[in-house]
Amino acid sequence: MTDLSVRVGKTTFKNPVLVASGTFGYGEEYSELFDLNQLGGIVTKSITLNPREGNPPPRTCETPSGMLNSIGLANVGVDRFIQEKIPFLNKFNTNIIINVAGSTPEEYLRVVEKLNHAQGIDMLEINISCPNVKEGGMAFGSDPESAHRCTSSIRKVTNYPLMVKLTPNVKDIVEIAQAVEDSGADCISLINTLVGMAIDFRIKKPLLKTVTGGLSGPAIKPVALAMVWKVSQKVKIPVVGIGGITNTQDALEFLLAGASLIQVGTSNFVDPQTSVRIIEGLKDYCEKNEIKRVMEIVGKLEN
Amino acid sequence: MVFQKKFELISSQKLSEKIFRLGFFAPEIVKNACPGNFVHIRVGDKSSPLLRRAFSIFDLDLKKDCFDILFKVVGPGTEILSRKSTGENLDLLGPLGNGFEIPKGDRSPVLVAGGMGIAPLMSLAFYLVKNQKIKPEKISFLYGERIKGGFVCLEDLKELGIKTLLATEDGSEGFEGMVTELFLRKVKETSFVKDSPIFSCGPHPMMKTMSELSKKHNLFCQLSLESHMPCGLGACWGCVVKTNRDGGEPDYKRICKDGPIFDAREVELD
Repeated sequence: MTDLSVRVGKTTFKNPVLVASGTFGYGEEYSELFDLNQLGGIVTKSITLNPREGNPPPRTCETPSGMLNSIGLANVGVDRFIQEKIPFLNKFNTNIIINVAGSTPEEYLRVVEKLNHAQGIDMLEINISCPNVKEGGMAFGSDPESAHRCTSSIRKVTNYPLMVKLTPNVKDIVEIAQAVEDSGADCISLINTLVGMAIDFRIKKPLLKTVTGGLSGPAIKPVALAMVWKVSQKVKIPVVGIGGITNTQDALEFLLAGASLIQVGTSNFVDPQTSVRIIEGLKDYCEKNEIKRVMEIVGKLEN
Repeated sequence: MVFQKKFELISSQKLSEKIFRLGFFAPEIVKNACPGNFVHIRVGDKSSPLLRRAFSIFDLDLKKDCFDILFKVVGPGTEILSRKSTGENLDLLGPLGNGFEIPKGDRSPVLVAGGMGIAPLMSLAFYLVKNQKIKPEKISFLYGERIKGGFVCLEDLKELGIKTLLATEDGSEGFEGMVTELFLRKVKETSFVKDSPIFSCGPHPMMKTMSELSKKHNLFCQLSLESHMPCGLGACWGCVVKTNRDGGEPDYKRICKDGPIFDAREVELD
């Protein structure tokens, strides 16, 4: 029997496979298709203080081996989230990670303070990396000082373990990761989407209403792998790998590069059962290779 | 109930140079589907094209547990789909979406299709005649295309006994002009249209016109809207349309989950 469990600080994940924020709603939509109890964790769609309508459409388009999105953090707001969405998520025996976003540093704090009073939350993922909002989002994750300020102010107001999600749209992601580690984060997830754009040359117009958006999917996997590898060399806290993971092989590559956990994002749209197929695949791989604990593979890249 | 699994392609028909009709044996989907629903199809197992493609259910055969889709080849996804052979198994997700609201009573339905918008309206027409036992002669079917050669399903409509009014942009068949112009003429000429349940599907500009006409004449018209849909399940919020449900602040609804069928008076299309 392989032990697929992963410990991050005081939190135990039954397996290393999570579903990424923004690609899995609040879990309801996928619960008809497979048993959510199988997942290592569910990262919810970003929650802000007030409900947000999001950006005008068109909000998405397909690109070679990927897609662009500019949803703009559309969500029900933290109050309705606590009332309506958390009770559903609490029915499942999997870790619930709430993705928190805001336009100002104060907004993050107010959302977190409200979540402090909710039940059944295992961890917060702090979104300092959304490329699709005018204010906040990626701005807080773009330089080490602001990333440090944002994370440490949240650290002071909550006991929840913190996962901080980083943007790849920076000069040096390692500096940001180190700043976040210094400010008391329990783990770091990367990467959020890369800023991208698509044009319909026939009508001379961008395909997204907001002109630019965030690129995700298999197209960004090599970028994500490189960043996970670089960051995991330089920080002591666990790294959560995100970016174009579609199958067991991809998941293994991220583990080898240094990720302790992985998140499946865009692939949830392509095959809603991607994450459970990966969990099965990791189990098979470990059994065939006589690996007792999946943690043994983490960071075992040979070069 | 939504299902995701591989279902067998049991028929493939080329209706014109670019229009295809595919049939699937899919008991789980058929048992749970209603007119206006759609399915999300993974056309291949490669990373490009990556996302699923959404298709309205075009014909639902409850006895044989199969359904058909109708589509035009417009890009790489539909191109791959057009080359599938019978016997292949395809990864389908469905049935999805809310479906048409079919009013009770004996008011005469009016169906207005433009181009490939014929697909969901055909499944509705079959349903109205076969399941709702509405006399086919009570149904008005308005159907527009660019040119005479563009029409499909005319035989099916004839077989159902539905009289179809055609419109072509070049006047090569039926009314010369847009199907929405033909529809407006009908609204003005015939008193019953104002009390009829109206159902419409077609290209975006046509949906915009139908929405405006419905607001102006206060018609109960249901539109089947189309969009790129990453998830199809309501999770990603990628396929939204602006609505104005209560006359208050506009808000965004998901075409895949809150639709694809919307009251024409509630949507704000640009």
